[in-house]
Amino acid sequence: MNDQTSPLWTHLTSEARLTGTWRSALPAYQNQPSPCLGACPVNGRIATWVKQVKDGDLPGAFATLTENNPFPAIAGRICHHPCETACNRAAHDETVGICSLERFVGDMAISEGLRFTAPVEERPQSVAIVGGGPAGLSAAYQLRRLGFQVSLFEASNGLGGLMRHGIPAYRLDRAVLDAEVNRIADMGIDIHLNAQVADKTALQSLRGQHDAVFLATGASQPKRLPGLDYDAPHVIDSAGFLAASETEQKARSGGHVLVIGGGSAAMDVARTARRLGREVTVLSLEPEGRLPAQRVELEEAAEEGVGFVTGAMLHSVSAGAGGLDIGCIKVNFEPGEAPGQFRASPIDGTGFTLAADTIVPAIGQDADLARWQGLLEPEGPVIGTRQWQTSAPGVFAGGDVASMERFVTQAVGMGKEAAKTIAASLDPSLAPPSPLADPLVVGDRINTAYQDPRPRTHQGNAGVTDRLASFDEVQQPLTPQAAQVEASRCFSCGTCIFCDNCYFYCPDMAITRLDLAYEVKTDYCKGCGLCVAECPTGAIHMREDVTP
Amino acid sequence: MQKIDYCDDGQFCSGHVACAGCAEALSMRVILNTVGENAVGVVSPSCVAIIVGGHPTSSARIPFQHGTLESAAASASGMKRALRAQGRDDTTVLCLAGDGGTYDIGLQALSSAAERNEDILYICFDNEGYQNTGGQRSSSTPMSAVTGSTPAGNTTQKKNLIEIMAAHRVPYIATASPSDLSDLAAKVTKAKTIRGTKVIIVIIPCLPGWGVADDAAVKTARLAVESGVFPLFEVENGVTYRLRTTEKPAPIAAYLDQQKRYRHLSDEDRQALQDDVDRNWQRLLWLAAGE
Ligand SMILES: Cc1cc2nc3c(=O)[nH]c(=O)nc-3n(C[C@H](O)[C@H](O)[C@H](O)COP(=O)(O)OP(=O)(O)OC[C@H]3O[C@@H](n4cnc5c(N)ncnc54)[C@H](O)[C@@H]3O)c2cc1C
Ligand SMILES: Cc1ncc(C[n+]2csc(CCOP(=O)(O)OP(=O)(O)O)c2C)c(N)n1
Ligand code: SF4
Ligand code: SF4
Ligand code: SF4
Ligand SMILES: [Mg+2]
Repeated sequence: MNDQTSPLWTHLTSEARLTGTWRSALPAYQNQPSPCLGACPVNGRIATWVKQVKDGDLPGAFATLTENNPFPAIAGRICHHPCETACNRAAHDETVGICSLERFVGDMAISEGLRFTAPVEERPQSVAIVGGGPAGLSAAYQLRRLGFQVSLFEASNGLGGLMRHGIPAYRLDRAVLDAEVNRIADMGIDIHLNAQVADKTALQSLRGQHDAVFLATGASQPKRLPGLDYDAPHVIDSAGFLAASETEQKARSGGHVLVIGGGSAAMDVARTARRLGREVTVLSLEPEGRLPAQRVELEEAAEEGVGFVTGAMLHSVSAGAGGLDIGCIKVNFEPGEAPGQFRASPIDGTGFTLAADTIVPAIGQDADLARWQGLLEPEGPVIGTRQWQTSAPGVFAGGDVASMERFVTQAVGMGKEAAKTIAASLDPSLAPPSPLADPLVVGDRINTAYQDPRPRTHQGNAGVTDRLASFDEVQQPLTPQAAQVEASRCFSCGTCIFCDNCYFYCPDMAITRLDLAYEVKTDYCKGCGLCVAECPTGAIHMREDVTP
Repeated sequence: MQKIDYCDDGQFCSGHVACAGCAEALSMRVILNTVGENAVGVVSPSCVAIIVGGHPTSSARIPFQHGTLESAAASASGMKRALRAQGRDDTTVLCLAGDGGTYDIGLQALSSAAERNEDILYICFDNEGYQNTGGQRSSSTPMSAVTGSTPAGNTTQKKNLIEIMAAHRVPYIATASPSDLSDLAAKVTKAKTIRGTKVIIVIIPCLPGWGVADDAAVKTARLAVESGVFPLFEVENGVTYRLRTTEKPAPIAAYLDQQKRYRHLSDEDRQALQDDVDRNWQRLLWLAAGE
């Protein structure tokens, strides 16, 4: 219709005017890390794999997850999930249930029998891993993925470390543990069970036979409660108790178990003993509300009938009418600077007596430093490392033996980082791990106008009667439908979802849609920032314009 | 989230001279692309006229006549009649005007066109003042807002143009916002199918006029909608009111805080504005329930 060409008529479009010259800042498309990624001990690409779950691409989600963590089904059950605490959605309504989604993906991978692919190229160098817990297995996995030859030496008769010998089956089903551990073992790792590396000489000789060694022996030495006779038949330490078989646990415990400690291990002992039909009392120095165990653990223990005596300490044990008379006294508890540090002073005249017939102290574990004395320099209570390198060349360390960050996924993250460091030391063409370079996408970068209100779907628990009748898992999985709905709550912080908002909101038509990408027309962009303001994910930002 | 639902096929061109971040240009993009190529337009002196641009260039692919501030609706009426005489009744006649050209100076022409139910699509870009001439007040400027001609704050109520147009019993009236582009596109599409006078009033937070940041026009419009300052609704045949939502609006504080023109307000002034918004909302609910 507009076919007039006479100069009397308007015949040019405004495109002749390059309004790009008005601008001082230009939008830049750049995916940036989400706060959940920053908080995740393995720096998992949560925004990406949760989107894959939302889109129904579960194999893709599994592939993304296992770039950083070969244990999604395990972590999805027992990770302390700092990612959720950092989640940007918390300020909107409630955090995304990241951990429950991770379990969903992990469980799917197990039931579908998904495996890890073989390394692209085999490399001649070999690495010895000492300790088959999460740190050692994570390092073995990452090194094997890169094609290195891996030999793993584990003192006990099974792989998994505290995931097998500490965390009870009602929190982590052994079939799940076996599936995820075996999937790593199947990558072609030379595994030696019942193969304790006894001392520094053995470690040195291992170092001689391999190009590098990774020490991941955990914290295996129970802390000792002064004044308690550990040789007495009624005393059994938590580590030994939890590692024992159900039959042994039954044989070693009487009808009323006193658990000393207020942390996660104490809850595990207490709840295990309840499943053996025992009456259980937990005695903690910390007053109520200050126990170091996670809140859900305390709640679930209470539901299961665990009794709590808080803010008090044991001072004597003597034979009593039906077993033991345990003398206790109330204390003033003052926490110290670092976690785990405290002062507790008894309050005169507050003594009382508890009855029990078995005492299980669960007050923490120390790394075994003596074993490596003279070879590996300690740093405080752990082996000292710089970028995972110990004082002995070619010997690296990570996990509980080298850190006070004592969680499974912390160990997995350290194993991953150490593996990358080792790989780079053996082949300089491989990149060493690098700290996150980009800033995390803070909450105000997310335009929440595009987020529908949607309450979180929480996982359910089995009923208390069923829980006490067996060691079956307490936590119930999300249904596939619930998982998809929960995944759709994620803001995809810092990751473009190709929603086209930036394209449509530009008043200057300065954004072009490409195939899964966008391009800014620098000829016309006036630098207003509307595209950035209306982005629901924070995947685009304004930067100073450097266009000449 | 829902994807924005309309198709841009190049009816509005880059290179126009709207301020960076202008929501009026953004709304024009939706309107021109939704109206399509079988259309002609009249534009009243206003920011839209500047954005369409002067000879020999235009940001619009369809032809526009630059009318006068008093008579844009009359020009559009004439244009439609001429097209009809030529047997081109299927061509949409679009009339784009500001609030000054609609609420004040062009009201008589619009009223006459509406009275005759002329077949035009009249869009009022309501930026609540004479903005392209430097930001003077109009009868659309809300109470208390600072403008170039009301430095201590406006002392009159915003005129209720919708009820004026509803009193003409025109077939379609709607409010729309650049914070909901799909809704704006849907309303333009609907208006195109209706014969007679259609009036769509689009809220346009003017960046310099209201004192809004370059990247915040859409956010400000969204707050206007969510707070009930500028509710989204349609009126059919002057009597049937249909509200986008009947949910209780959010308080107006966040909307006010977004703009410099309300910065001087006392708590009492702010409360008075809130009371006003509440009253208007109640009336709207009543009108919507009346059918
Ligand atoms: C009861 C309990 C419950 C816990 N619950 C949780 C939980 O719910 N969530 C969570 O995140 N964390 C939990 N933790 C902490 C978590 O289990 C540990 O932080 C994590 O397992 C540490 O991993 P690691 O690989 O460093 O050591 P470990 O898991 O301790 O593994 C070390 C491995 O090295 C082997 N080893 C030791 N010495 C030698 C040697 N000389 N030669 C060869 N092999 C050796 C050991 O047998 C063991 O298999 C819990 C801990 C305990 C004790
Ligand atoms: C009768 C008349 N008076 C004054 C003017 C000058 N004038 C041109 S545009 C304009 C402002 C119009 O305001 P509005 O319609 O609200 O449009 P905006 O600039 O705010 O987009 C004025 C006063 C004119 N063109 N005609
Ligand atoms: S909304 Fe999604 S991407 Fe953002 S912090 Fe939460 S889980 Fe991570
Ligand atoms: S909305 Fe358009 S003009 Fe504004 S900064 Fe983005 S690309 Fe540039
Ligand atoms: S607005 Fe949408 S398409 Fe544009 S960068 Fe953000 S997420 Fe990607
Ligand atoms: Mg105006």
